[in-house]
Amino acid sequence: MRRLLAAALRPAGAIGCALGVVAIALALLGASPVAVAADLADGAFGNWIAFTDTLARATPLVFCGLAVAIAFHGALWNIGADGQLIVGALAAGAIGPALGGWPHTLAIAAIIGAGGLAGAIWGGLAGWLRARRNVNEVISTIMLNFIAAQLLSWAVHGPLMEPSGAFPASRKIAAAARLQLYFPPSRVNLAMLFALALAAVCEFGLFRTAPGFELRALGRNRRASAFFGVPIARLTAGAMALSGMLAGFGGAVQISAITHRLYETISPGWGYEAIAVALVARLSPLGIVPAALLFGALDNGSQAMQRADGISPQLVYVIQALVIIALLAFDASAAGGWREAFGAGAPAEPNAGAEGGDV
Amino acid sequence: MLEARAISRRFGRTLALDRVDFHARPGEIHALIGENGAGKSTLVGIIAGRLAADSGAVLLDGAALRSGASAAALRRARIAAVYQSPMLFERMTWEENLALGGFDAGAAPRELDAVAARARQIAAASGFDLPPPRAIVADRSVAERVRLAIVRALSFEPRVLILDEPTSLLAPAELKIFLAALGRLRAAGRIVVLVTHKLAEARAVADRITVMRRGRVVAELRAADTGEAELARLMIGALPMALARRPPPEPDPAAAPALTLAALTLVREGRRVLDEISLTVRPGEIVGLAGVDGNGQAELVEAIAGAVKLDAGSIAPAPGGAAVAVIPQHRDRDGLVLELPLWENLMLAAPLRARFAPRGLIGCGAARRFCADLLDRFAIRAAAGPACAAGALSGGNRQRLSVARALAGAPRAIVAHDICRGLDLGAAAQVHRGLAEFAAGGGAVLLISTDLDELLECCGRLLVMVRGRVHETADRDPERLGLLMAGAAE
Repeated sequence: MRRLLAAALRPAGAIGCALGVVAIALALLGASPVAVAADLADGAFGNWIAFTDTLARATPLVFCGLAVAIAFHGALWNIGADGQLIVGALAAGAIGPALGGWPHTLAIAAIIGAGGLAGAIWGGLAGWLRARRNVNEVISTIMLNFIAAQLLSWAVHGPLMEPSGAFPASRKIAAAARLQLYFPPSRVNLAMLFALALAAVCEFGLFRTAPGFELRALGRNRRASAFFGVPIARLTAGAMALSGMLAGFGGAVQISAITHRLYETISPGWGYEAIAVALVARLSPLGIVPAALLFGALDNGSQAMQRADGISPQLVYVIQALVIIALLAFDASAAGGWREAFGAGAPAEPNAGAEGGDV
Repeated sequence: MLEARAISRRFGRTLALDRVDFHARPGEIHALIGENGAGKSTLVGIIAGRLAADSGAVLLDGAALRSGASAAALRRARIAAVYQSPMLFERMTWEENLALGGFDAGAAPRELDAVAARARQIAAASGFDLPPPRAIVADRSVAERVRLAIVRALSFEPRVLILDEPTSLLAPAELKIFLAALGRLRAAGRIVVLVTHKLAEARAVADRITVMRRGRVVAELRAADTGEAELARLMIGALPMALARRPPPEPDPAAAPALTLAALTLVREGRRVLDEISLTVRPGEIVGLAGVDGNGQAELVEAIAGAVKLDAGSIAPAPGGAAVAVIPQHRDRDGLVLELPLWENLMLAAPLRARFAPRGLIGCGAARRFCADLLDRFAIRAAAGPACAAGALSGGNRQRLSVARALAGAPRAIVAHDICRGLDLGAAAQVHRGLAEFAAGGGAVLLISTDLDELLECCGRLLVMVRGRVHETADRDPERLGLLMAGAAE
């Protein structure tokens, strides 16, 4: 319990620091930081609709955050959650209208499964390239993001465009394939529970199963993993496919529960924001949930902040960026992860002074 | 004169140095010996300015050196140190490493060719080989890195040269030339401090010997006035069992080989780093593989572990299974995951992974209990027990963990590469005893080392590895074996 508290303390301190800097900036601009904070909080949690909107915005961040965290544990720097979410949404939007005659449960399984499968293929492709041809996954996933975005744009302007041809959007998915919204007009739906369950599954998978252990070992010491027979190629491809599947689920549930059709702008950059979410959560799958809630609340509250105080909603991006910088400054281990990621070579030997200092 | 007065230093609850006094005079080679954890590395770290002392002072010719002084200040004072794990930029070439700093290249400090030329000049004067031009440091052996660090230190013509266990990785021929180079430094009135755990070497090379035990200096002696037995007694308080020689284990001639390599060949950058290597190790024997570091031993171990793809040849049993356990030379780089807890590090070994994660689910409780028991049996000191991160252990304890893990997997054969590097007499004896018991119980051991004394003491059959080839030899004479290792008798 005390360890858990200590683990939560650092992100809390970092968030506090970032908010402090923003408060000073706001004061210099002549706005009252207290009033702005109050409006932001009101917009995020002020009433039932605001609160459930925050949940709805946090949900895709949980899916993508888990995707990022799983890959990062294996030192696979998946920057492609956005593209994987988009192809997930694309698959869901493509088959959704055709599921009219299906029983509800089956249609839901089909639409979410299709999204997961598409995401898995997208992520798995980058993983396979890494495993077989040693293609840097940072580059391949970013490129696949571009391809996914263009694919979506072409689809909603072309083959999937709604029949009237007036809007760049697809036809509505069949009613059977829609996740039910509870307590309308709030957007509470089962996908939120699904996201929570996936977080728990990821936590268990990473820390209590042999493949999860192997992935963490691989991410921390690739050479030692090779020496001890860890199946590196299989893990690399598998972890990237799994990562893509999680993001793909996120895209599918967005179609199934919220938008019911494809738009060009289906993702406002969730896959990128999720990297921040995963880092704030220090790659802990369970930690992703509160971190996603924080970012969802900031996104959601920013609208109210703009209405009430005339502050640009872009300020929220400033806050998010500051939180991440503060977090890296607070947390040496996260910084270490990034240092290793971008190839400063073998980490310095941290043995001096650990146990008497004499080796 | 180099002088340390009443130095104390604490790491957490451990008092690493307890009011230590140390003197070394110009024109002498001064050996500093002691067991793991005796405080040798901490003391030289403080003298070299890498660590700060809690109290006490370091003086050079009566002038106090500021503790924790900057690298530049130490260079002005002309104190240079070479540590056990040389600090180098792994992904750069060795010339770039030298050009980046810590190396005095004379007039053109950023010209790689000038740097290389000066380095070769220093290396030639000291009798070392340097890596081929533009070689990346990460690809070089430990011995080559140590040599590079020594060349770097010598470039400043230091008044005080501190060497922390540099000789354990040098070949006999290299060692002779290196020790002669030290002799020249001594003749030039320099102070050389040599940290070592090899008693014979300390006695042969040094003029004076300081013995440390548990953070205190227990004796300062003239090398000529003492013997190995006395030094060993001072170091550990009692004679270790290893000094009493026991006969190497005999193999069972009828048994099928536990490890068979057939014509292994590995080509890297057009060079045959493994050149048709064939050998067998039978149950019950410890086979020694001698050789100067960098002649293909590391690649051989990688191949047996299944970490590289061979160009030709076969290994039986197939790599990656539970039948052969490998203890790699670079324990931190290749053997452990420093961020993960000890019990998870044990699970890196395939048989233990299979045991504690049958059907893929990890039994944490059982794995932790097993780890705690292993720590106990092998006297591995870990403050927080199985949950301790491997990186928090001292080097000696990490080494014992690697060996314990290999033995715990109950393999048919163990391939151990340089397992006694940096271990003191007591710990090395313990490791050797573990291997001997394993062999006595029907296990097969391939012991790869640069240390002939170690191989002659532990092994039955002896093999020599030179430039990717392996020859068997019946010769047990260290002098002639040294020549074989240098490739003189092909």
